[in-house]
Amino acid sequence: MITEPISLAELERDALTEIVNIGVSRAASNLRKMIGGEVLLSVPSIDVVSQRRAARLISEREVSDLIAVRQNFQGPFSGCALLIFPETNSLELVRAVTGGELSTAELVEMEHEALAETGNVILNSCLATMANMLKRSLQMTIPEVIRGSGATLFEVDETNASEGLVLFLYINFSVRKHDIRGYIAMIMDLPSLATLKELLDEFIQRVMSDDA
Amino acid sequence: MPETGPSAGSDHVRKLLAAAGASGTWDWNISQNRLRIDAPFAELYGLDETQADTPLPTATFFKAVHPDDRARIRIAVAGMVAGAEHFSKEFRVVTADGTVLWVHGRGETHFDQDDQPESFTGLLIDVTERKRTEERLRVAQSAGGVGTFEYSDGFATVAVSSEFCRLLGLHPANILPVRTINAVLTSADAGMLIPEAPHGAQMETLDGTFCVIRNDDGERRWITRRGEILHDGDGGYRLIGVIYDVTAAKAQEAALRDLNETLETRIETALAERQLIEDALRQAQKMEAVGNLTGGIAHDFNNLLTIIIGNIDTVLRRSGTDRDPREQRSLGNALKGAERAAALTQRLLAFSRRQPLAPKTIDIARLLTGMSDLLTRSIAETIAIRVVAAPDLWAVEADPNQLENVILNLAVNARDAMPDGGPLTIEAKNEVIGADAFAGVPDGAYVVVSVSDDGMGMAPETVAQVFDPFFTTKEVGKGTGLGLSMVYGFAKQSGGHVHIRSALGAGTTVSLFLPRQQGAAESPDEPDAVAAERGRPSETVLVVEDDEDVRAYTVGVLRELGYHVMEAVDGITALQVLGRDDQPISLLLTDVVMPSMSGTELADAARSLRPELKVLFMSGYPRDTISPDGRIQAGVDLLSKPFTFASLSQKLRQVMDHAEG
Repeated sequence: MITEPISLAELERDALTEIVNIGVSRAASNLRKMIGGEVLLSVPSIDVVSQRRAARLISEREVSDLIAVRQNFQGPFSGCALLIFPETNSLELVRAVTGGELSTAELVEMEHEALAETGNVILNSCLATMANMLKRSLQMTIPEVIRGSGATLFEVDETNASEGLVLFLYINFSVRKHDIRGYIAMIMDLPSLATLKELLDEFIQRVMSDDA
Repeated sequence: MPETGPSAGSDHVRKLLAAAGASGTWDWNISQNRLRIDAPFAELYGLDETQADTPLPTATFFKAVHPDDRARIRIAVAGMVAGAEHFSKEFRVVTADGTVLWVHGRGETHFDQDDQPESFTGLLIDVTERKRTEERLRVAQSAGGVGTFEYSDGFATVAVSSEFCRLLGLHPANILPVRTINAVLTSADAGMLIPEAPHGAQMETLDGTFCVIRNDDGERRWITRRGEILHDGDGGYRLIGVIYDVTAAKAQEAALRDLNETLETRIETALAERQLIEDALRQAQKMEAVGNLTGGIAHDFNNLLTIIIGNIDTVLRRSGTDRDPREQRSLGNALKGAERAAALTQRLLAFSRRQPLAPKTIDIARLLTGMSDLLTRSIAETIAIRVVAAPDLWAVEADPNQLENVILNLAVNARDAMPDGGPLTIEAKNEVIGADAFAGVPDGAYVVVSVSDDGMGMAPETVAQVFDPFFTTKEVGKGTGLGLSMVYGFAKQSGGHVHIRSALGAGTTVSLFLPRQQGAAESPDEPDAVAAERGRPSETVLVVEDDEDVRAYTVGVLRELGYHVMEAVDGITALQVLGRDDQPISLLLTDVVMPSMSGTELADAARSLRPELKVLFMSGYPRDTISPDGRIQAGVDLLSKPFTFASLSQKLRQVMDHAEG
């Protein structure tokens, strides 16, 4: 694997994983309430990769086109968070969220709104937990739904000279009886990632000093 | 405090849990920041038993954790305390006696009505054994190249091992989408690598082999899947199995199969060759057997014919013209019949390649010109005979009389193939044959004599049989079936070949390939004098012949011719006669095939006694006097049986005079 210009130490990675885990737990709990069914959420695994590599990673896993809910965040570290599904999953998710009482036509009509709402729940849980745990505050924009390949989703900032890095979180969330799985990715520039790294170190220090 | 932890249980429950591998339980009260542990937990952590079931500082939780794992666990617990739902970590604890154990801590956070984390409870399980097993499994997987997977129906993802990902060239992960895995397949023909419902439920076995394109390097590999389908109580099922790469085995299998297939063809070819050789051998053996048989018959037959023809000849000669015309005619018919019998015997010998040939270097064009009379006499008027001889024909070496016989024979066959008439072409030309131009004809320079008709032709089965002796397509009584076999025998004996091209309704062409002979053709012999050549009483001929009647006839003829004749019944007697010095003997006339001593043996012995002695052989089956290629040995004179008064007198005179000159 290519060595990235910035990388997280093992403990930093553990810390970030746990923080996201908390967020994902919250999200799953909220999702469970929305869907009313069994939701299986994996403990996330984290990679810091280039945008290009992130696009490759996701296209390796997903054959079909993708659909994503995107939310920008601003604060000590800024960027955008993406909740990504294979496009074929999209209606399934909407069906699951709406309780399976709607016709296909109604589902299609509601798709955009339902996706944005679901994305908002999950991304908000993650970002808010991160901010909370790192004792900082983040401002988030209204979610938007975008479609396309891994490349279009990750190379959104092509005008930017310095290629951004992607905090790629594999979160497999499987919903029983519904063919749904998704990923969370956070795209940040180098300064933001450096800040995140610092904040994680602070968090680790805090946790360790509890020993007293 | 919630009643979720098993810490409140009795000793009984605790023992059960301990037996089940549960090493201890904890209850972390988040709001009060206190930890409760049970006795096994305390024991595991090397704490005093009294500390069980009493509120402890939460830092106690990290006390026995191995230093290398402590930070990791602290971070994870911090997450739980902050509101993460699930805790599932494996870490090492150092027990009181210093033993390092692997434990699996599994816990969850409980929330109050305001969704605020209230407590974090869990179970600590000693998984040292399992950890070792896992280690072995991991080593087994990587060493054996075996990847594992587990799929529960209804989910879109599959739990996989890193070896599983490596085998398919996928980015290592614990969980992969079903579609990601199935996307490596080159086709859906063999089913899916991970079969989703409803296919998975209907399957009886997980055994299968799939062709995949590895995701990382794009290499085409063969993957075999084995495993089990486990049916859960609720109607669901799980697929647990392994995959491994069988590309090398497949390649070997293919190579082996290839080898087997070519082996089959190789064996088939060898068998076919062998079959051909066996067929040829059988044919040769058949020819040999028939040859021996006909040769034997011919010998005896020629002796008999000599007696018959000789005696009729004698009667006809002696009685002159004052005979009753009817008697004369009867005798003539008898003689004709005997002559036909002699011709038949001659053909038998020709076919069995035992006829004595007297090859000469000949010009076929001249031979064909000489035959035109004979041909027009033998062929009906409805047939238009065309004889085409190319200019500058090469010379060939063959017995001209027999060659004429062969051509006439082929012409008669051609005539019979065209009952309603038609063109008959006899053609002679030079030809240089390349390899495989004609089946059975080796490459070389030949003069080709072809006899063609546009008659009824023959089917391939018939063509295959035409050289067999006594095979004939003609009606019974119309042919002997020896014609073409005689042609074949003559060609072979002359160092040449015969080729037949024929198809039903499309006529037949029989080509005789005679090898080119360097040098100019000899002039044909002057026709033999018709008059009998008389002998002189001073010329003594010793006749050796085991057949009483033949000997009597021969002696009779010789005496009539004026020779002085002595006779002997076999070689031994003859040598005794020759051994006596009182009698000058000019010529030894001996049979060839005789019991105890053959004519050639006798001749050799006689020459050592009397080197100046002339020898004339007579035979109906001159096996020993002719060389394997059918030529009469140099210096050997042969008189073929049956002979007549005239032929005997001429030959005898010729030998007598030649030796003198």
